[in-house]
Amino acid sequence: MQTGQTSTHDTHDAHGAADHIHPPPEGFVAKYIFSLDHKVIGFQYFITALLMMMIAGSFAELIRLQLTDPKGAIMSNDTYNVMFSMHGTAMVWLMLIPMVTGALGNFVMPLQIGARDVAFPWLNMVSFWIFPVAAVILFSSLLFGGPHAGWTEYPPISLADGTAGALWCLAIFTIGISSTMTGLNFMVTIIKMRAPGMTWTRMPLFVWATFATALMNMFATVALSAAVGALFIEHVFNVPFFDATRGGSAVLYEHMFWFYSHPAVYIFIIPAFGIVSEVLPTFARKPIFGYKVIAFSSMAIALLSFTVWAHHMFPSGLAPWLQIPFMILTYAIGIPTGIKVFSWVATLWGGRIHYSTSMLYALGFLITFTFGGITGIFLASVPVDLHEHGTYFVVAHFHYVVGGGAVMGFLAAIPYWYPKATGRMMSERLGKLGFWLFFIGLNGTFLPMHWLGLEGMPRRYATYEYFAKAFPDAVFWNRFETAFSFLMVASVGLLVFNAIWSLRHGKIAGINPWGARTLEWTISSPPPYYNFKKIPQVYDRPYDFDKPLPYGNLDNQTEPFPEYGKVVMPVPTPAGA
Amino acid sequence: MATAVKSIELQAVEARYHDVDHVYGETRDIRLLGFVFFLLADCLLFSSFIFSYIYLRTSAPAWPPFLDGKQLPWFDTSFAAMNSIVLFGSGVTMHFALESWKNLNKRMFNMWLVATIVLGIGFLLGQAHEYSSVGITWQGTTMGASFFTLTGMHGLHVFIGVVYLIILGLQANRGVYTGSKYFGLTAGTLYWHFVDVIWVALFFLFYLW
Repeated sequence: MQTGQTSTHDTHDAHGAADHIHPPPEGFVAKYIFSLDHKVIGFQYFITALLMMMIAGSFAELIRLQLTDPKGAIMSNDTYNVMFSMHGTAMVWLMLIPMVTGALGNFVMPLQIGARDVAFPWLNMVSFWIFPVAAVILFSSLLFGGPHAGWTEYPPISLADGTAGALWCLAIFTIGISSTMTGLNFMVTIIKMRAPGMTWTRMPLFVWATFATALMNMFATVALSAAVGALFIEHVFNVPFFDATRGGSAVLYEHMFWFYSHPAVYIFIIPAFGIVSEVLPTFARKPIFGYKVIAFSSMAIALLSFTVWAHHMFPSGLAPWLQIPFMILTYAIGIPTGIKVFSWVATLWGGRIHYSTSMLYALGFLITFTFGGITGIFLASVPVDLHEHGTYFVVAHFHYVVGGGAVMGFLAAIPYWYPKATGRMMSERLGKLGFWLFFIGLNGTFLPMHWLGLEGMPRRYATYEYFAKAFPDAVFWNRFETAFSFLMVASVGLLVFNAIWSLRHGKIAGINPWGARTLEWTISSPPPYYNFKKIPQVYDRPYDFDKPLPYGNLDNQTEPFPEYGKVVMPVPTPAGA
Repeated sequence: MATAVKSIELQAVEARYHDVDHVYGETRDIRLLGFVFFLLADCLLFSSFIFSYIYLRTSAPAWPPFLDGKQLPWFDTSFAAMNSIVLFGSGVTMHFALESWKNLNKRMFNMWLVATIVLGIGFLLGQAHEYSSVGITWQGTTMGASFFTLTGMHGLHVFIGVVYLIILGLQANRGVYTGSKYFGLTAGTLYWHFVDVIWVALFFLFYLW
């Protein structure tokens, strides 16, 4: 290509050549169980997290069934408390975080930066194997009565859980170690192992998102480890950190917990931002609008997320001089998020849109996530939050952001990267049906919670007889929500069926079925265990759809690009023809 | 003069291992960054507990707090100061151990490393003495809770450090580290200095504040 850039190219060839590739491991255990290959580990995370999604989702359905009757339909109040605690805990730590960082980060990120693996493959394997151990510890707490105090396990209520509470702490501490190690691994990988020529501002946006996520994973998770570690010590050794009768402070736990858990919600949402930033330009056949602002707002969100934790604690009696800055900072974090949403809309503007399953999920993400973001801005205001904090309005907001944001994000990612991972396309027909089921189910389940919350329906309660007397429509809306929630179950079932069916019957994908331009689409599907025979040379950002591919040193290409990969922009743009 | 001669020696050794070093250079950078991030994360774990200590202390009506109507005793600052000197001294000896290794002086390296290990064990024994004579318990008050948790975590780090240094010493004498391939020793030194720095914070917060 250009003469000015060949020098980096040459120096890299010295140790990037094929002779440094060792033969693949032999034997089932080395290949599939204790594998060091980031792609296999990504699969392991994916399957385990999907299993956790089913378990945690079935807890959610039990909750919904209970609420079909104001007196409580199917279980005791005590069991209900355990169900919603386990639902939250399992969804957040065993499903969302392993799914978006462990599964997608592991599979996609090294391919996108042109690396052969992550920086510490062995650590990566250990991080994965800690995760099922933590899951077993968490579910074993059910044998001791289970946790009762919600996914936050606030003391002093959680201190009454005894052994189950201690096991909960142990599980979260363990999964926290796994998260921290994954974060560390990804940070080093992205800083040190990018292909030559891939400067920071040439990285794909999913890599930027993974970097921001890894930063939070590494530095926020230790605060959680400290919080649950102290709670564990209090459970087991009766040491007073949070027990107010001996000078401890329950609010201290809230500070430590939310210092992690606010960044945690960005840990699940920022990878989804990255996925959407990949999917939208690919299926709109148009360069992403505002590459730099999207990349930098990921980092801005990651940094700001460390400064807003106390907005979860407005009703805890926080001093007013502390409430105001946290309110303002929470508004401020809406700015980079808003910038991203506008950039995505501008990316779509004038594009030639292909409505594939991934694209539908990405568009659905734009709608539901923005909706959840806006209710978040309401809740950031102290006077509003004091009224709404204990109601279903918060549940609605959270599920719009997480279900409509993070989950929609990775549901967009699955059909997008499935061809790369398996070599086969997923069924588009089943995928689109799954999307509509999920989208309608999500909105039907969580939209009525907004007005139920505004009417004052308290969250976390097993029954709502008094509320149903004051607001008789509550029974109808709760049954409505329960009915719609089963559409999401059907959608996940369809996804699993589709993923298994397509392994055998899907169309052969080829190297680049979507005409996408990031590096993983330049190697065969599924990629060989060493990913890149020669490490590619990068000359530019991957989003200029009207230009030739910005990579050199590619020997992996054996098939031509599909026709629609070469569509030239229909409207004049700065980057256009 | 001596150092100049040795650095030429070092260059010769490095030249011999040049091919390995070429690949190794990158791996070393990667490992070093990973290790620094690990230490940062560990530092944040301590910071969280330090935050909880400051929070509990500033929100308490009296410090040291009262237990069964009696105010708890203050720590023995002079003993802790002596013990701190032992730990900081071990940081100095560790520094010289690594420098000796870099200058290819294995005999001095072994001496300084053994000195570091002995001082580390000395610090742990001092901690044990302090725990037995401090007059407060882990369970009774938030003071005990913070003190024993934080210094206990630190003590655990020192203990792990001592074990780590012993392993490093054995490895170094078995010839695991050659030429410029001594990342393990760099990591051990960094870890040991990190443990020292944490102790500076703990010493101020518990004994001088």
